[in-house]
Amino acid sequence: MDFDFSVITEHWRFLASGIVVTLVLSAVSGVTSIAAGFVVAMLRLYGPRWLRPLVVLYIDSMRAIPVLVVLVWTFFALPIVSGLTMPPFFAALIGLTVHLAAYVAEIVRAGVESVRPGQTRASLALGMSRAQIVRRIVLPQAIVRMLPAFGSLLSVTIKDTAIASVIAVPELMRQSETLAGQSFQPIEVYTFAMLVYFVILFPVTRGVDLFYRRVAHLGRS
Amino acid sequence: MSFDWSVVWSHRQELLAATGTTIVLTFATMAIAVPCGLIVAALRLYAWAPVRALATAYVELFRNLPLILVVFWAFYVLPISTGLGLSPLATGLAALALNVTAYNAETFRAGINSLRRGQVEAAMALGMSRTQALRRVLVPQALRRVLPVLASTWVSLFKDTSLVSVIAVSELAYVTMQIRSQTYRVLEMLTAMAAIYWLLGYPQAKLVDWMQRRFAVTE
Repeated sequence: MDFDFSVITEHWRFLASGIVVTLVLSAVSGVTSIAAGFVVAMLRLYGPRWLRPLVVLYIDSMRAIPVLVVLVWTFFALPIVSGLTMPPFFAALIGLTVHLAAYVAEIVRAGVESVRPGQTRASLALGMSRAQIVRRIVLPQAIVRMLPAFGSLLSVTIKDTAIASVIAVPELMRQSETLAGQSFQPIEVYTFAMLVYFVILFPVTRGVDLFYRRVAHLGRS
Repeated sequence: MSFDWSVVWSHRQELLAATGTTIVLTFATMAIAVPCGLIVAALRLYAWAPVRALATAYVELFRNLPLILVVFWAFYVLPISTGLGLSPLATGLAALALNVTAYNAETFRAGINSLRRGQVEAAMALGMSRTQALRRVLVPQALRRVLPVLASTWVSLFKDTSLVSVIAVSELAYVTMQIRSQTYRVLEMLTAMAAIYWLLGYPQAKLVDWMQRRFAVTE
């Protein structure tokens, strides 16, 4: 059996455009889900009491529903309900954010709860307000402790963008499917895609670990 | 805009069968991935150096690849490399098992590593062989730390079975989307799919939370 990797070199522009979309979608949805997840966690921890069960329901529901289902629903069903049609990229961005924000919220909650309650009490005794305590005492320590979890979340995000191929976002996975179908060389194309994903993901997981080791002391108390 | 929810009820038989496939797929994958993960973890920890490197490479590779890509890859590569015409279900199972085995291997390795080294030394000082120390002293303790992680891998796996729909395995996601394209009842079918996953997944997620509280290790 022969392999002919010239299909990759001949169509490198097509694949490169997919890599760019993968990277952009990962970066943007990473940022939006961290931002949204922080808000959700703050609502769960410090929000009005009546809102908390709803927030918990949202978080646990997202942990129960596959990201594929969320993406497909956002792309195909949401326009029917809302009347808005959106390009696949935005549907993917919204779907991924809604899904991943729940995981971010859990990470943030675990980080915040890992800061001993004695510290909150001490700050209250010093006359700080609730907002001050969260901003000055709890979050600076909690954020450092969340870093390893954010690292794995980032790699999950990159892997989840591949699922956006199902709703025709022209990212690496989708471009590979198209090329594999047109060239009749699926093995070469998918092996190349595997290589690219590994080259993107491996440094991310390793890099976050290394970075955490340098800053871990900041989270100790 | 009018919705016709009866489409869900009239396809209940297909949906039920598909849900069954999803559940079977989850159980079958775990049944393969737990023993295989244990073997890979043992190889990574105790085997001859080149074998250890190979096991490490396998784990790192599959933890750093999107599962959907592994599914496609298995679909095209397995028939050629093994010469067997595998059914989509078997291919999907193989892809899921390859992926989950890597995660389980890492879970088991972390579980074993989390035990203090003194315990093996003490076991060996008592005259146990390396295998005995592993089987009698390390594994029972590691199990306690490993179970909650395995449970959350289980929930991820349950959700990830939806990805084998891309190679036409007739599980829940694939069957719902088939019905959707036959009946044009997009919103109804997709919402029903989300609801079924939710009904099955929500108790599992809650069970994981409970296990994590129950098995929390305090030293």
